[in-house]
Amino acid sequence: MASPLDQFTVLKWADIEVAGYDISFTNSSAAMVASVVLIALFVTLGMRKNALVPGRWQSSVEMCYEFVAKMLGDTAGPDGRKYFPFIFSLFMFVLFANLIGMLPWLHPFTFTSHIAVTFAMAAFVFVGVTLIGFITHGFKFLGFFVPHGAPWYLLLILVPIEIISYLSRPISLSVRLFANMVAGHTMLKVFGGFVVSLSALGAAGVIGAIFPLAFIVALTGLELLVACLQAYVFAMLTCLYLNDALHMH
Amino acid sequence: MPQLDLAVFAPQIFWLAVVFAVLYIFMSRSAAPKIADVLKKRQNTIADDLAEAEKLQAKAEEARVAYEKSQNDARNNAAAVVLSKREELKAEAEEAYQKLSDDLAAKADEAQARINAAKDKALGEVRDVATEVCSDIVSQISGLNLDAAAVSKAVDSKMKGDG
Repeated sequence: MASPLDQFTVLKWADIEVAGYDISFTNSSAAMVASVVLIALFVTLGMRKNALVPGRWQSSVEMCYEFVAKMLGDTAGPDGRKYFPFIFSLFMFVLFANLIGMLPWLHPFTFTSHIAVTFAMAAFVFVGVTLIGFITHGFKFLGFFVPHGAPWYLLLILVPIEIISYLSRPISLSVRLFANMVAGHTMLKVFGGFVVSLSALGAAGVIGAIFPLAFIVALTGLELLVACLQAYVFAMLTCLYLNDALHMH
Repeated sequence: MPQLDLAVFAPQIFWLAVVFAVLYIFMSRSAAPKIADVLKKRQNTIADDLAEAEKLQAKAEEARVAYEKSQNDARNNAAAVVLSKREELKAEAEEAYQKLSDDLAAKADEAQARINAAKDKALGEVRDVATEVCSDIVSQISGLNLDAAAVSKAVDSKMKGDG
């Protein structure tokens, strides 16, 4: 029987190698392309009428837009406006990746369940936000690591803690998304495996298989929630980090 | 765990970068401005409509005030007209009454005069008849032929004395 972790295997669809680097087109790449194509279709077709009074589809697009705009405005303030396209892209990208991964057919690949992908995104956010911090505040940005009003002997402890917590941001950001997706998909596959092996035992097994099947249905609902929630959390934390960089608390 | 296979890192990160860059360009160049445009347009339309509604409401209020004012004016005007007409009619009626009563008084006076004349005439005739009757009675009883003047005098004095 296949391992529940097999669903995370990256399959090469086309071998490509440039200057010694492997940049093969894989099922992971395909899922990324699918995400972007679906986002583009969702937004473009939703907004094709540019209606003053939006229909259902246009409302959904506008809801996504306003949701992210509000989130960014509430956390990073008006200075964060110019980073809106990035946050919006990030939110929609993670959201669609997670939701595509929940499709029960086509065996879609959930690239957010790969630490390489989530860490690359988190590292990009981390580096970008740190650069924004230094560009906005110059070397005063280092003051971010010095808590206000603490006596000097406490600073000896607090400053390293602040630096470590700052440096661990990309790790927590990426592992949170990665672990959530892996756990959910693994659970679904494990219980799917129960259904298969129980129903192989004959009539009693088929009846018994109803229970793990029901659990899968419930778990799918939960995973849909997690898919949206993790996209929100990822975007939200990016906004918070951006706010730190722009305003230093 | 397939995620920990280092061989899958490079292709995924490469495609992630490419795909996300495309998405970002699409969002920042096309999607986000378009959506922002629609939202802005809607907000403006709503604000414009509200302003228009407010203006129209003010206009309606103005019209209402003007209507009420004109109604008031008309009512006052009508009351004034009624009042002046009433005065006029009253004066007219009084004048007519006065004229009529004067006429009637004149007619009554005239009638009274006529009555007096008739009365005087009748009284005169009574005296003549009395005088004649007296002369006749005296001549029948006594056979005396009295002087008409003396009888008339006697009757006059008697009438005056009785009268």
